[in-house]
Amino acid sequence: MFTYSFMQNAFLISIFIAALCPVIGMFLVLRRYSMMGDTLSHASLAGISVGMLFEQNPVLSAFLMVSLFSIIIEWLRKHFRTYAELILVIILSLSIGIAITLLSSGLVHANIDSLMFGSILTVTLTDFYWVLFFSVVSLFLVYKFYSALMFMVFDEEGAAIAGVNVRLINYLFAIIVAATISISIRIVGILVISSLIALPIAAALQLEMGFRKTLLFGVIFSYIDIFSGIIISYWINAAPGGIIAINAVLLLLCVLSYKRIVRSGRVI
Amino acid sequence: MLNIEHLYFSYSNKPNLLQDINFSVNTGDYISIIGANGSGKSTLVRLILGLLQPSSGTIENSFANMAYVPQRFNQLNTHFPITVKEILYCYKNVRRKYVNKKINDVLTLLHMENEENTLIGQLSGGQCQKVFIARALLSDPELLILDEPSNGIDRQSQAEIYNFLLHLNRQDKTTVICVEHNLQAALKNSTAFYHIEKGKGHICLPEQYVKEYIKSDLGENKGNVYL
Repeated sequence: MFTYSFMQNAFLISIFIAALCPVIGMFLVLRRYSMMGDTLSHASLAGISVGMLFEQNPVLSAFLMVSLFSIIIEWLRKHFRTYAELILVIILSLSIGIAITLLSSGLVHANIDSLMFGSILTVTLTDFYWVLFFSVVSLFLVYKFYSALMFMVFDEEGAAIAGVNVRLINYLFAIIVAATISISIRIVGILVISSLIALPIAAALQLEMGFRKTLLFGVIFSYIDIFSGIIISYWINAAPGGIIAINAVLLLLCVLSYKRIVRSGRVI
Repeated sequence: MLNIEHLYFSYSNKPNLLQDINFSVNTGDYISIIGANGSGKSTLVRLILGLLQPSSGTIENSFANMAYVPQRFNQLNTHFPITVKEILYCYKNVRRKYVNKKINDVLTLLHMENEENTLIGQLSGGQCQKVFIARALLSDPELLILDEPSNGIDRQSQAEIYNFLLHLNRQDKTTVICVEHNLQAALKNSTAFYHIEKGKGHICLPEQYVKEYIKSDLGENKGNVYL
């Protein structure tokens, strides 16, 4: 299986996205913004369509479009405090509108299936270099602003009083989210990116641990989901996105069962 | 020193919530801001903290280092996966320039040294409030601002917290501004009251306030007297 160069590329890319997705997912989930991944993945479809229209690298065009939309989401967050989920609906509608218009008009010819469901066959070495670049920069920024981000998701007002430049870090984080989504869609696909962002963290949260340990377990669960997903997708010749999503849900169910067993053991 | 002059504030297109607020806070003061619900006490604190901008008037603050203890039950997500130590750790890291105390030392000060690895949601109201006070103390603040520190807390924890605040103010000379509903604690600790009524405020001594505003005899009141 590993003698094929596309499998090598797929695994190399997975090493990075499996770490990055739960890291940003942790902050999104705790801000009650888990659906942001879903919205921005649709924005990435619009970005890819625009990129193809102008014959540019799809990862780069997706990143630019998703960055723009995630900055708009962050900006709108101030204006729709009570109905924050409405912002995601607005951006989702606009993204889908742009993507469908370009793809259905015949101006752009793209393999929609591989974008929607993910594909390990279409991953190239150039994609890997983009993934490497965005992953290293994003993980470095999260590491650098880890304390500020943790403070902000726990107590945004307290962080502002303590001197954290909340607005700047929110915009910076929005761009990190954009980078993560842009590089992940080639493997996991547009339709299942949000599961990779939210589900490993949802499973880790069930273990009721502190922030650092929850994040660590989120990353471990993410590696299990992605690697098993790619291997199974190779053997059964199916799109990896779907299998990764199923694995993520199964793993969550396993953690919930484990928690239940441990709790009932305590009662006895 | 904190000096507020002719401060007016209103939320967008609404009547003034605060009108012509004037008062000064000197080093070593313990000021309790008191008034009915919705009178603008917390808004005044948010203005002092710089979270809101006044419609007009000035706030001059020469306290270089101030810290804030929020209302315990205001926005806390009790399922948030964060330990006591992590709360203090992230505060310590973002205020590295000011923090000169160790996490263990501030936790010991508040008798919370055995809870450093406990999740915030597993603490009682009183313990939780102590964590936020410990967080504020990490930077050894010149000015400590608290918003209703006894809100939702059992009586024993209230006594511990107020004794601690009294010690902090009288012994360590930390200036304290406290939005307060607990009149008994305010009477015990404060050097002065700032009473807000219908948007306007005035400074008065605790005894003066009791004479003017409290009809019932405090001596006969067994429990806490809330405003």
